[in-house]
Amino acid sequence: MQKQRSLLALIVVLVIAAIVTIVKFPVALGLDLQGGTQLTIQVQPSEEIKKITERELEAVQTVVENRVNGLGVSEPVIQTVGQDQILVQLPGVNDPEQAERVLGGTAQLDFRRENAETRAFVNNRQQQIQSLIAEQQKLQSAKERDEKAIAANNAQIEAKIKEITELETKLFERTGLTGKNLKYAQATPTQGSSWSVALEFDAKGGELFAQLTKDLAGTGRRLGIFLDDKPISTPVVGQEFAKTGITGGRAEITGTFDLESANELALQLRGGALPVPVKIEEIRTVGATLGRDSIQRSIYAGVAGLSLVLIFMVVYYRLPGLIADISLVIYALLTWATFALLGVTLTLPGIAGFILSIGMAVDANVLIFERTREELRAGKSLYRSVESGFYRAFSSILDSNVTTWIACAALFWLGSGLVKGFALTLALGVAMSMFTAITCSRTFLMLAIAIPNLRKPELYCPSLPASNKAQGAT
Amino acid sequence: MRLNINKQRSLWWGVSLVVILAGLVAMGISWQRYGAPLRPSLDFVGGTRLQLQRDCSKPENCAKPIDINAVRQVMTERGLGNSSIQLVTDERGQQGISIRTNTLDVEERTQLQQALTKEIGTFDPKATQIDTVGPLIGQQLLSSGLIALLVSFAGIIIYLSLRFQLDYAIFAIVALFHDVLITTGIFGILGLVQGTEVDSLFIVALLTITGFSVNDTVVIYDRIRETLKVSPDLPIDQVVDNAVNQTLGRSINTTLTVLLTLLTLFIFGGETLKNFALALMIGFGAGAYSSIFIASTLLSLWRERTGGQSQNSDQLSVESE
Repeated sequence: MQKQRSLLALIVVLVIAAIVTIVKFPVALGLDLQGGTQLTIQVQPSEEIKKITERELEAVQTVVENRVNGLGVSEPVIQTVGQDQILVQLPGVNDPEQAERVLGGTAQLDFRRENAETRAFVNNRQQQIQSLIAEQQKLQSAKERDEKAIAANNAQIEAKIKEITELETKLFERTGLTGKNLKYAQATPTQGSSWSVALEFDAKGGELFAQLTKDLAGTGRRLGIFLDDKPISTPVVGQEFAKTGITGGRAEITGTFDLESANELALQLRGGALPVPVKIEEIRTVGATLGRDSIQRSIYAGVAGLSLVLIFMVVYYRLPGLIADISLVIYALLTWATFALLGVTLTLPGIAGFILSIGMAVDANVLIFERTREELRAGKSLYRSVESGFYRAFSSILDSNVTTWIACAALFWLGSGLVKGFALTLALGVAMSMFTAITCSRTFLMLAIAIPNLRKPELYCPSLPASNKAQGAT
Repeated sequence: MRLNINKQRSLWWGVSLVVILAGLVAMGISWQRYGAPLRPSLDFVGGTRLQLQRDCSKPENCAKPIDINAVRQVMTERGLGNSSIQLVTDERGQQGISIRTNTLDVEERTQLQQALTKEIGTFDPKATQIDTVGPLIGQQLLSSGLIALLVSFAGIIIYLSLRFQLDYAIFAIVALFHDVLITTGIFGILGLVQGTEVDSLFIVALLTITGFSVNDTVVIYDRIRETLKVSPDLPIDQVVDNAVNQTLGRSINTTLTVLLTLLTLFIFGGETLKNFALALMIGFGAGAYSSIFIASTLLSLWRERTGGQSQNSDQLSVESE
């Protein structure tokens, strides 16, 4: 009896602690329940970097973290997955498209200088195209249209345009001034409704920029600002900078920016360039209302499921069933408190795992009570039947739980985010159910037997043969 | 009620075989139709799914019902005519659309959403669900799912051969294969009949089935081992018959309590959890059946043939009293 008393005290303390935990520490909700966006970023090898190593992945992660911080999302989660993926979770993000654009771009900023010879060559070709176009117009408006000549002329124009586009990439040469030399970038309004991105270089960047602008000033050759190998702005440097270049370490990219795109570029530049290209491989966005609906539904399902199991147990197993029910409620409280304490993030499949585990948690009780009934029918006394019910059912309970853990472990190690949540909640639930079935049910049942009015075998096993009843009561 | 497990074993096996064959035929047909044994969802083949709901708090926004032809028109104009489009009405009677199409990048998607907004009204961003999955993710999911399945099979074989014996473990795995086959087979049939798709949660369901369905088998094995210890001279088919019948209430009730909670998940769980709960119900049902009728009968047939009763020395057994 002494042992039962102290166990009962332990259970009471645990239950109170569990309730306090549940009230004090709410369980964190996954993105599918609170609404938000989850992106899986695939890091891809480039021409220079053929294989993605841990170093590249970490570098990409740092840049992604910088950019996410710039987005102003509270409590983002950024983690690497496998060898070449990064998982980004943005709870409650307002504009998932913006996040996608900002995170998806490499943002390699590169300042280039226009090559004089190539420029001259292109100018020459452009003049030729102009005259060919003039020729073309003449041919087309002539009274007798010479279709052959028109076609030949057209082919010439196309060939020259092609030549120019091919040269375009060679038109600008790299100067060594890149996004790495940036200290800061910010969107600023310019005249009218357009926006620009103001840049601030570090010391070395300032020098390089001054040198570059000094070279170009007054020559008519352009400065090329390239983002991910595409020109975004190609300004001409004025004559007045020919002596010193543009000093002070500041520059401004004007182009066809509006507020949003200027902000996004500034954000990307501030976060730094990605060392390798990335591709957004998976995006899942769930609206907050949908998440709330899911929670609502899960609560219905959980309450209904729990009630059905509670009713079934009392109807089928009578007094032990009632005791199993008390254990089951304790089970639910303790498991939920464990989630809160361990910081388990609850996803929709996670909730499903929890509800499922309610159905599984009574299994141990079913095994024990069936065994108890069997012993009673075999003519053993009530106390001995209950004792051996617990004792003999234990190996079945352990074996069946271990197999469930094996499956959960496989799910946890090999599964992705959502799947992991399910595996974790189910595994924790199964572990907790062993504790409640063996400790709580047993303690309560032993206490019940101690009360004379509850010491009737028919409360434990209906339709027991009359001869056994008398024996069982002793 | 007493079941003649071993006498009627051809009946029990026949029932299973018919269901499994029907499933295999369905999977064959869907292999020809969809290039996969089950109808794969976005999770496996990649693509974009937009679930949009109109914002009815804005005046006039929900005045007209959504015209699905207008939606189809917008899709066709963008060269996405092969997309599947569905009208969705939720419990509050609000109308929305669900579109599944090829993978769209952020620009394409934004443009499509703008075009749809122009055509049918403003959408509520809080009630929007957008999933875009690249082809890589699907392969990853499939391969890691299959590996997880194999790992858990191997783990269960090892554990059961330690706790029982190797042949016990092997027949338990046969029963597990049976459960997994029946579940996939029925989903193959459902895919053909009502277009049910399998997603990543289906793989989770299969793994959970392997973990849980073996429970009933373990309970029966436990009893077989116990009986053999007490009376080692009893013929094996009688031992198995007794064991199954003595534990029948347990097998049924443990499955029943779980089915009760799954039923509530199936009813209230919403779109995501509905098929998950269904797969688990089928799998657990098949699991109870295979424990009672398949694993046990195979074990007694095998021991009959090999006369392996003498080797019933148990390594680990809980001694009673």
